[in-house]
Amino acid sequence: MTNDASSNSDGLAGPLSGLRVLELADEKGQFCGKLMGDLGADVIKIEPRGGQNTRSVGPFYKDIPHPDRSLSFWHYNTSKRGITLNLESTEGRELFLRLTATADIVLETFPPGYLPALGLGYKDLAAGNPGLVVCSLTPFGQTGPWRDYLTCDLAHLAAGGQMASSGYDSDDVADAPPIAPGGGNAWHIGSHYAYMGIMAALFYRDTTGEGQYIDASVHEACALTTEGAIAIYLSTGEVVQRHTGRHASPDNSVKIQLPTQDGGWVNVTRSGSALNPARLRRLAEWMDEHGLAQDLLDEKYQDLATVQADARHTTDVLANFFANMPQEDLWTGGQERDFPWGAIRTMDEIMGDPHLEDRGFFVEVEHPELGQSFTYPGAAAIYNGSPWAISRRAPLIGEHNEDIFCGELALSKGELTLLAESGVI
Amino acid sequence: MSLPRPLEGIRVVDFTWVRAGPWAARWLGTFGAEVIKVEWPENLDILRMNRFTIPTGVEPGPNSTGQFADTNANKRGITLNVRTPKGLEVIKQLIAVSDVVIENFSSRIMQRFGLGYDELKQIKPDIVYISMAGFGQTGRHHYYGTMGPAAQALSGLTFLSGLPGAPPAGWGWSYLDDTGGMYGAMCALTALRHRNATGKGQHVDLSQMITGITLTGSAFLDKTVNGREARREGYPPGNRTTWPGAPVTNNYRGPTVAPHNSYRTKGGGYNDWCVIACFSNQEWKNLLKLMGPPSWADASRFDTLSGRLEHQEDLDRGIESWTKTLEKYELADKCQAAGVRAMPVQSSEDRVEHDPQLRDRGMYTEMDHPMLGRWKFQNAPFKLSGSPPEMHRPPPMIGQHNREVMEELLGLSHRELEDGYKDGTFWPEEMPMYPYVEEAMK
Repeated sequence: MTNDASSNSDGLAGPLSGLRVLELADEKGQFCGKLMGDLGADVIKIEPRGGQNTRSVGPFYKDIPHPDRSLSFWHYNTSKRGITLNLESTEGRELFLRLTATADIVLETFPPGYLPALGLGYKDLAAGNPGLVVCSLTPFGQTGPWRDYLTCDLAHLAAGGQMASSGYDSDDVADAPPIAPGGGNAWHIGSHYAYMGIMAALFYRDTTGEGQYIDASVHEACALTTEGAIAIYLSTGEVVQRHTGRHASPDNSVKIQLPTQDGGWVNVTRSGSALNPARLRRLAEWMDEHGLAQDLLDEKYQDLATVQADARHTTDVLANFFANMPQEDLWTGGQERDFPWGAIRTMDEIMGDPHLEDRGFFVEVEHPELGQSFTYPGAAAIYNGSPWAISRRAPLIGEHNEDIFCGELALSKGELTLLAESGVI
Repeated sequence: MSLPRPLEGIRVVDFTWVRAGPWAARWLGTFGAEVIKVEWPENLDILRMNRFTIPTGVEPGPNSTGQFADTNANKRGITLNVRTPKGLEVIKQLIAVSDVVIENFSSRIMQRFGLGYDELKQIKPDIVYISMAGFGQTGRHHYYGTMGPAAQALSGLTFLSGLPGAPPAGWGWSYLDDTGGMYGAMCALTALRHRNATGKGQHVDLSQMITGITLTGSAFLDKTVNGREARREGYPPGNRTTWPGAPVTNNYRGPTVAPHNSYRTKGGGYNDWCVIACFSNQEWKNLLKLMGPPSWADASRFDTLSGRLEHQEDLDRGIESWTKTLEKYELADKCQAAGVRAMPVQSSEDRVEHDPQLRDRGMYTEMDHPMLGRWKFQNAPFKLSGSPPEMHRPPPMIGQHNREVMEELLGLSHRELEDGYKDGTFWPEEMPMYPYVEEAMK
C-alpha cells in the first residue's frame, strides 16, 4: 500500500508553505532544497542552460543515460520546479534579480566569490529585499586556507573524520583501509546543517523582519558528525580504533554484528554486556525453544555479577544461535522480547516493511512524461498539522520556464524565444 | 557578542537523553532558545556515565564526562520526578510557559507519564511537541527500540559501507544519533516557523530509523525503479566508485570515476592515509604530471576512464607507491595546488590540533566547565551574519538550576522548594545531594 503524492487526504499545507526558495545548487545543496520543497516551500531550481551537472550522475532509468533519466537527480530534486538561466549574461542576471525580489530564501553552492563577481552577492540580492535569507553552502565556507580546495564526497568523509572511525577489526579484514560509507552522505550532512541555519534565520526574520547571510561549510558539518570521537580525544588524548560494524573506540570492544544462517547479519547493540539475569533468562528461553540455549538457563546466571563477567561467553552462545537462525526471525524476535536489535537490511528487505507502510512512508510519485508512477521514500517525520509530502517529481530541464518567465515575470512567448536563442535560458 | 541570537525568547522543555535527543535540543540552545533539561538522578542519562570521556585527574561522577558536556551545552538543567503527582504538576506549570517540548523516549512513554500531546495542548494550545522514537509513535512496530547502530542497520545505511566480499563495515559511530538529532532540531525549527505563520502548534512524530532510509541516496530508486539487486558482485565497492571486474554500475556516491580511493602515506601510522579522486581526464593528467610522471603509468591503458576503471588494481598500487613518500597534509596540499581532489584522513586529534581550516574558522570554542575546567566545545558549522549561533553556557550539572527555574521562573516559594527536596519531588529521598545542590538551597 502506498500513498498518492498528489493528494494529502486532510488537505493541509506543509509547514513551509508560503515560502519561496531559489535553489542554485549542485550535489552539495540539492538535498537541502528537496527537504524544503517536500516540507511545502515553493522551490524553484535554477539550472544552467542544458541542465545542472547532477543530471549526468547515474544510475539512470533502465540504465539509459539521459539528463531527464538520472535516478540520483530524481531522488534529490522532488517537489521543485525547474527553470534554466545563464547568470553570466546580462539578461540572465536581470531576470534572476527580478525573481529574487519574490523570494524568501536563496540557496547557492557556487565556489566562493562566484556570485559576487557577477554582481549577485548577498548585498546585491538583499538590496531590494531586506528580508531575504541567502545561504551559501560550500565545501569549506567563504574563508580560510582550504577555501578553494577541490573536494568530493570521499574527500569530505576523509577530512571530516568519518573514515577514521569506520572500517574493520583486523581479524575480520587484515590491513583494511579506513572506509568511507556510501550514499553521498557528506552532502546530506552539509544539507542538514544548512537547512537548520536557514530555519533559524527565518525564525529571526519572523521576529525582526531582517534577512541575513549564511556561510555554511560541508567540512565543518562533517567534522561535527562523528559522535564521541572528539570528546574522547579531548578527555583522554586517545584516538579511536576502527571496528567492524560497531563504534570505533579506544579499546577492543565485543563484536556486535553477528552473522545469520541465511547469510545476513544482525546488529545486537552491545550484545552480552547489557544483559541482566532477567533479560538473559528471557533470551535463553527463546534460544531453548530452538535447542540452542547451551548453558544459559543454568541457575548461576541468576546472579548479575556472573552475567556481566561472562559477557563474552554469552556472546559466543548467542553467535551460535544466530548462525542457526534466519536474519528476519532474529531481529524481530529480539525486538518482541525487548532487545533493540536491527538486521542489516538492504532495499530488498526494506521494501514492503509493514511498519513503513503503516506510516505511509512509501509514496507513489507520478512521472507523466513516462506514463508511470514510481515508489519514492517519503516522510521521516509525520507532522500532525502540516504534512511533509513530496508534491511532484523532479523537474525536466527547463520544464517551468514558461510558468515562471511568462506566467510570473510577464514575458511574452516571443521574448522567451529570443532568450532561448540568445543563450539566456 | 552583542548580536542577538535567532531563537531568543523561545523556551524548550527538554526530556531527552543519550545522544540524538540531547543533540537536537543542544542546537536549539545554541540558537539562543532557553533549553531546560529535565532529569532524574535515579535514571541517569547514560552519557553522564560515559567511561571513555572522563579526563584523568577529574573526579568521576555524573558531571564529569566530556561526551555529556558537548552534547548538552547551552542548556540549564533541573531534576524533577514527573512520576509523582506533585512533580507532574510542576512540569505542567513549566510547559505552560514554554514553546517546545522535545523527547526521545521509547514510543508512548510520555503518554504514560500523563505528558502526551493531547494533555499538553490543553495546557499550552500552540505547543510544538517533538517526539523522536526509533520507529516513531505510530505504525505497528512503534514499540521497537533502537540505538544508532541498529537504526543504521535497519535503514539500509550499514549495508552501503564496506569492502566487497567482507561483512559490512558500517558506520563507526552512531550516525543516526547525530543525524537523528539534526532531524529533531530541524523538525522543531520547522514547526516553530509554521507556528509563526499560522499560530498553530503541532505534534511531530519523527522516526530515527526512517530518517536513514532516504540517506541511502539513489539506492532506493535504483531498487524501486530499476529493480537492481542490492546483494551484487563488487558491492559495496569500499572507497572506490566501482570494483574492478564487477559489472560497471553507479554505486550512489556521485559519478563513476577512477582513481577514487584511499592511499597510505608516509609514516605508515594508523591514520596516515589520504584520499585522491580524479573526476576527469584532465584531473588525471594533473595527477600524472605531479607524480613525475612515473614509469608505471606509461602504458596508455590509463588514458581513458574505462581503462582506469578496468585497471584500478594497478592504478591504485602505482599511486600508493608515490603517496607513501609524502606526509598526508603535504600530499593533499601538493595535489590541490596541481588541481587534483585530495584530502587527508583526519582523526579526532588531527581535526582538533592540525586542521588549519577548522582552526581558521573557529570550530572549537573554550568555556569554563565546573568539573572539566577550560573545555573545548564544537561550534555550529555555519556563520549567520545577523544573528549568529553561539556557545554561551556549559552543560548543566545534574539539578544545577532547580532553584532558578522553580523560584524565579515558576514562582515557587523557597519553602515549597525545600519541601520538594524532602518529599522526593526534586531529588530522590534516599540519595545524598551534591554539595552544589545543597549550596544552591542556602
